[in-house]
Amino acid sequence: MSLKTDKTVPGREERVGACIAYGGTACGIGKAGKLCLKVQERGFSQAGICQLLPTLGMLLTLPETAVIVHGAIGCGSTGFPMNISIRLHHLLRGDPNAKDSLWFSTNLTETDVVHGGEQKLERSILEVDQRYHPKSIVVLQSCTPAIIGDDFEGVIERVRDLTKTPILASSCAGFKTKVWATGYDVAFHAIVHGYIEKDPEGRPLPRATESKRERPLVNIINLASVGRPDEDEMRRLLNAIGIDALIGPNFGSRESVRAMTQADLTVSVCPTHDDYFVDYLREEYGIPSVIKEMPIGLDNTERWLVDIASHFGLQERARTLAREESARARQLASRHIQQLKGKRVFLSAGEFRALVTASLFQELGLEVIGLRSYHHDDFGTDLYARLVQSQGGKDFSIDIANFQPFELVNLLEKLKPDLFAGHIWDNVWAARAGFPTITIFRIFDYYVGYRGFYEVAKKAARVLRNSSFNAKLAQLVERGYHPEWYAESAFKYIKVRPCNEVETAAE
Amino acid sequence: MSSVNSCVERPRCQCALGGALITLNSIHRAAAIVHASPGCAATADAAASQGGGYWGTTANNGRATPSTNMLEREIVFGGEERLQEQIGTTLEVVDADLFGVVTGCMTDIIGDDVKAVVSKFQSEGKAVVFAETGGFKGTTSDGYDLIWQALVEQYVEKGLPRKKGLVNILGLVPTQDVFWRGNLLELRRLLEKLEVDVNTFLTPFDDLSALRRSSQAALNIVLSDTDGQRVAQRFEELHGVPHVTLPPPIGPSATERFLREIGERLEVESQRVEQLIAEECRWYYSFIEHLAELYNDQDFQRYAVIVAGCASAYALTRFVSEDLNWIPFATVVTDLVDEVQQERIRTRFEELPTELRPRLIFEADTTRIAEKVLEQVAAENDPYGEAISPAFVLASTLDRPLAAALKAGFWSVSYPVVNRVVTDQGYYGYRGGLRLATEILSVLVSNR
Repeated sequence: MSLKTDKTVPGREERVGACIAYGGTACGIGKAGKLCLKVQERGFSQAGICQLLPTLGMLLTLPETAVIVHGAIGCGSTGFPMNISIRLHHLLRGDPNAKDSLWFSTNLTETDVVHGGEQKLERSILEVDQRYHPKSIVVLQSCTPAIIGDDFEGVIERVRDLTKTPILASSCAGFKTKVWATGYDVAFHAIVHGYIEKDPEGRPLPRATESKRERPLVNIINLASVGRPDEDEMRRLLNAIGIDALIGPNFGSRESVRAMTQADLTVSVCPTHDDYFVDYLREEYGIPSVIKEMPIGLDNTERWLVDIASHFGLQERARTLAREESARARQLASRHIQQLKGKRVFLSAGEFRALVTASLFQELGLEVIGLRSYHHDDFGTDLYARLVQSQGGKDFSIDIANFQPFELVNLLEKLKPDLFAGHIWDNVWAARAGFPTITIFRIFDYYVGYRGFYEVAKKAARVLRNSSFNAKLAQLVERGYHPEWYAESAFKYIKVRPCNEVETAAE
Repeated sequence: MSSVNSCVERPRCQCALGGALITLNSIHRAAAIVHASPGCAATADAAASQGGGYWGTTANNGRATPSTNMLEREIVFGGEERLQEQIGTTLEVVDADLFGVVTGCMTDIIGDDVKAVVSKFQSEGKAVVFAETGGFKGTTSDGYDLIWQALVEQYVEKGLPRKKGLVNILGLVPTQDVFWRGNLLELRRLLEKLEVDVNTFLTPFDDLSALRRSSQAALNIVLSDTDGQRVAQRFEELHGVPHVTLPPPIGPSATERFLREIGERLEVESQRVEQLIAEECRWYYSFIEHLAELYNDQDFQRYAVIVAGCASAYALTRFVSEDLNWIPFATVVTDLVDEVQQERIRTRFEELPTELRPRLIFEADTTRIAEKVLEQVAAENDPYGEAISPAFVLASTLDRPLAAALKAGFWSVSYPVVNRVVTDQGYYGYRGGLRLATEILSVLVSNR
């Protein structure tokens, strides 16, 4: 399996053995059998998201691109909310006149379900190309054409011959995987095949080994959910030790994506997000990679920086910088840290992001009492143990859940944290239960590096000063679940499969 | 319509599942159970909860929407067993009084027998209804009609005695009309003054017993020439409730006619109706009076460009022309409507006096909407190229570039609205009309 050879992108459950249903503790998850976790599911479940959504979220960021969603008319409708964030990103990037994201629906109707949607798709792509002259065209295949058996690949290859516009094609039917993070892989697959492998000008040649740069150039793989301030902080730190950064591919052009094949090193900011792409650059362009850490929290930032620097013999400079910056950040944050000492925090986000943010909060003097990850895979396993260790062996609850707020509210009721730190869309559940919240992804704010350390401390202290909005809300809103639910185990509906049974079935 | 045979650019609607889901989500104490793949509920919900002026997430919607999250295994082997399990567990966990099972494309294509699964729960006396709402069956409007038909057939009680002076209001699709809550509340406020009982169903202040007993109504009022028509028909067939289609009233002129029509239908004493009209009109003008100086000195008459779904498009056009003294230049209807529906909407616009009738454009594509309006402006051959200056655009947040091209004032009033927050605002009736007039005039002075 590799990005280059995969015709369609495998689900993360297959590619990295990801799991979406587990309830227990940080100490327990390391001991659980991977195969057993992978097959666990729920007898009561709430809406997840499908892989099409992260794919769409990433590919809509590409400037001057037309995105065609091949399916029923509703499959693209999150384009509206996604555009809100993309528009603000453009503003932060200094482009107030950026156009709204352009997307289309092939609007498959009952007739198309009977007769097939291939012609409609082909006509749509060519029409959009002629009418709008986009710099590239993204085509996403949703569930309906996948079930009725449209030859999506066939249409795409036919159309590639008819236009000079790069086509970024994604087969991302929602029912194909339970792990929606697969959508990132799908987006990278589309970007690589559209701008590199099947680009109308062919793929760029690998950089000549003898050509020397004055300063090393590294790729930083950005995320659509990480804001400009954090990108600036990463660039600042790398520049300070003599490394140049090329940040992409989100919000990047075809040219900037092709330029990524010429870098000296690829730096992942989140392994959950981009290992598939990082591996491609290594395998096809011989670019080594750094993928173990995320620069959130002082220790993590230092490890990240030293890891990158050591590829270029710059580790001493990195250590010196980290020492200085870290001391300064601690000193600046000290007045806020006083307010935070001993508070108990519950976190919720994608696994890696939640884990590194948890260690940042530990550095600010808070105790981690619970953590919800959207899915679990091997990239996170060691970090759970590291967190337990750094709070003196105190274990904490974890919930691996593709959202499932009913489990979250049950846990919050029992754990009663002082602070809830959640990804966008998660905070409302804590808010309705009366807890103060701090958003883990907000594109205007700093989270990364030393500036991030200071800003999160400052923000957490501010949030804790006044939480009257949520406190009053909690007294007046309906909770949505029967009172008995809160007395049950939060993980009642996870069907735990005994490991021996799973392994026998797999044989 | 130009875009029927190919793709649609940024359609201002969701799919049928989306319409049904949003309708259920706006019924207090009802919860949806989505029988579809994991992203279906999330997609429709996110579009509505953000695009509906930040309607947002509450107890049982958003990521909390019960959903079977069907995967390939269910597509291949059928999802009925999973649905049965999910309905059972939802009843255990979720605190609601009515559950609506709605399906996605995949479910309808593989042909799960949802009816059989739901019937078992119904026969045990559980308040569960179902509608097959596969996304490809249509838009938000179709989804609204489908779930409503299901409610009328499976939930509303049969054989109750008729109740004089009780009406149901239909045809207002939540979030497609971003102001549905405020709009319904104003209609209720007015009609209650005539001692008419009003079932509005979709505000936080309605309760399920009213829905259950809505078959007693003396009249269904359908506020749209397209949405809710099939629901009213079903009400008539099953429960014998007659219906009347009336365009939604914004501002004093339209509301006056609306009240007289309803009064007549329900045999309310005309003196009483006239008294209410006089009181409310006085209320409206005692505030507007203070703006007459500003309005006249600054020449706040505008050429109006309106972009909205069909019911709002007509109501807004009529308000700006009858009460705000504006000149309707172009009105764009953005729904994906068929020819029969187009004809009905055209007929509705013919009720406006010829000299104040806008160019009526049916277009769903955002870029084409702007192109078509600008073409009409260019055809006016103004020597300075500013045929409709000064202009004002009442439309969706998506239409800001059109307003910029026209150098026009702009206010977002149709889905999706993401550059302002909507709570209890509504534009219907006297209070709503005053609110809209206030907002528009505020935009005109906002640079001061």
